[in-house]
Amino acid sequence: MQEARVIKPEERLPDIPGRLFLFRSCTGSIEYPGTESAIKEILKLLGIDAVMDPDQTCCSGYLLTCSAHKPELSLAVTARNLAIVEKQELDVYTFCNGCFGYISELAHILRQNPAYMDMANGIVGKLGYRFEGKTKIFHVQELWYRMKDAIAGKVVRPLAGLKVAAHNGCHYVARQYGILDDGGYPTFHEELFEILGAEPVFYKERQLCCGYAVGRGFTHKEEMVQPHLLKKFKSAEQAGVELITTVCPGCNVALDREQPNINMRYGENFKIPVIDLSQLIALALGVPVHKLGFPANTTPLNSVLEKIGIGKETADG
Amino acid sequence: MPREKENDLTEDLYSQVDGYKLVPNLETCLQCGKCVGVCPVANLSPSYNPRTVINDILRGRQDRWLKSEEIWRCFWCANCYTMCPMDIPYPMLMMQIRYRAIEKGYGLKYFFPFKRFALRAMDDGLTFAPASPKGRERIGRIRQEIGLSPWPEISQKARNEYKALFEMTGAADFLASITEDKEKPVQFSYMEGKITRARGKGN
Repeated sequence: MQEARVIKPEERLPDIPGRLFLFRSCTGSIEYPGTESAIKEILKLLGIDAVMDPDQTCCSGYLLTCSAHKPELSLAVTARNLAIVEKQELDVYTFCNGCFGYISELAHILRQNPAYMDMANGIVGKLGYRFEGKTKIFHVQELWYRMKDAIAGKVVRPLAGLKVAAHNGCHYVARQYGILDDGGYPTFHEELFEILGAEPVFYKERQLCCGYAVGRGFTHKEEMVQPHLLKKFKSAEQAGVELITTVCPGCNVALDREQPNINMRYGENFKIPVIDLSQLIALALGVPVHKLGFPANTTPLNSVLEKIGIGKETADG
Repeated sequence: MPREKENDLTEDLYSQVDGYKLVPNLETCLQCGKCVGVCPVANLSPSYNPRTVINDILRGRQDRWLKSEEIWRCFWCANCYTMCPMDIPYPMLMMQIRYRAIEKGYGLKYFFPFKRFALRAMDDGLTFAPASPKGRERIGRIRQEIGLSPWPEISQKARNEYKALFEMTGAADFLASITEDKEKPVQFSYMEGKITRARGKGN
């Protein structure tokens, strides 16, 4: 069973697609719509066609792991969504670690267990869908890394001297046999920071998760999530981090929205802006700031924008 | 007469928890404890211990965990799975431990917030869409300033079919069947670093 999880490097690094299916993320399109916009802008600059289908629904994985429903629903939802992609002969590119982790795990279960595949197809078949199991699932961060040379050639606004730290997000690194890097300590975000001219910072609690993954931000916020994140922010502050990037809008919610609460509770003064890796790349590629949706952030980005020479007048518009 | 084997009494006991057969290798657990070392929840709450959870589940002692607060603390970060030398997908076990607890009426207070989310998602085809018109308006404003459509482009067909899947897979019935009157008090809680019976219960 574990062998079936191993995705060979050459399959992880296919040719750059001319067209891809961009899988809408609920959080990435609602809480931080700048993520969706930044990705579309980068893809436009790189000459890749992004298809978003209005018939695609939520991946349903978050509610599954919050115990709100059982796997049958999520298996059927995955079969339906992937059938839509398969019909267009495209590969899935998600921009949320949650979507990536849940869809790949559910697709793995479907492919490995014919009984589950029959069950899911039996249900979605009534709605006229059929999932064959062919579509591959990627995260857009992988595409950025695969295209790092093209991205390096398009940097028009180098992020010189900006101290950026990575937050990888657990649902991505947990797919340890099917991702670009070592699940224990991936470093390809830092490589991308260097390409953009920024200075990567490694901090002690870099691998600490955001704590929001299965809704613990709603059930155990004071008890578990805040003391957990306090450790992360303390070590980031000590390392002089000026900006944290995530690749999961869910992590973004936790790291960005919790900072004022943690400051109030523990008497700290953390002001570390948190944005998506795609938003950072879009900044360096010269995408207009008003297209990146920073007003959605709780922790403002003014210090970062000033440092890279974007005046105040454009910062909030 | 075949000789009794050491694991005859415990073999497959854990299938009571792993009903979906998503953790086929649980019995290979070495009890090495690496999962505990990398667990951010065990770090904060010492009586949550993934190694002990696995040991107890393998021996059919799931009840003390189903009744505990501890199982609801797991962040599902999968550090345990990334570290595990035997590749045991522990998060898949934890997911099912929580189902068993809900079925028995324990920890329902940690289920209800997501029941509300799920009922809303059934109509929206999206999770996390705010309930209030004001919240929706705010999102519409931010999206439009960026140059996106005011609301994520999701078709009525997608919403209808998402809702239909809730009905067809029994998820809607599951949500309706779990009501506040079924909640049972949690009997074990964290005390001085280990799981103990709550004081004054006398059992």
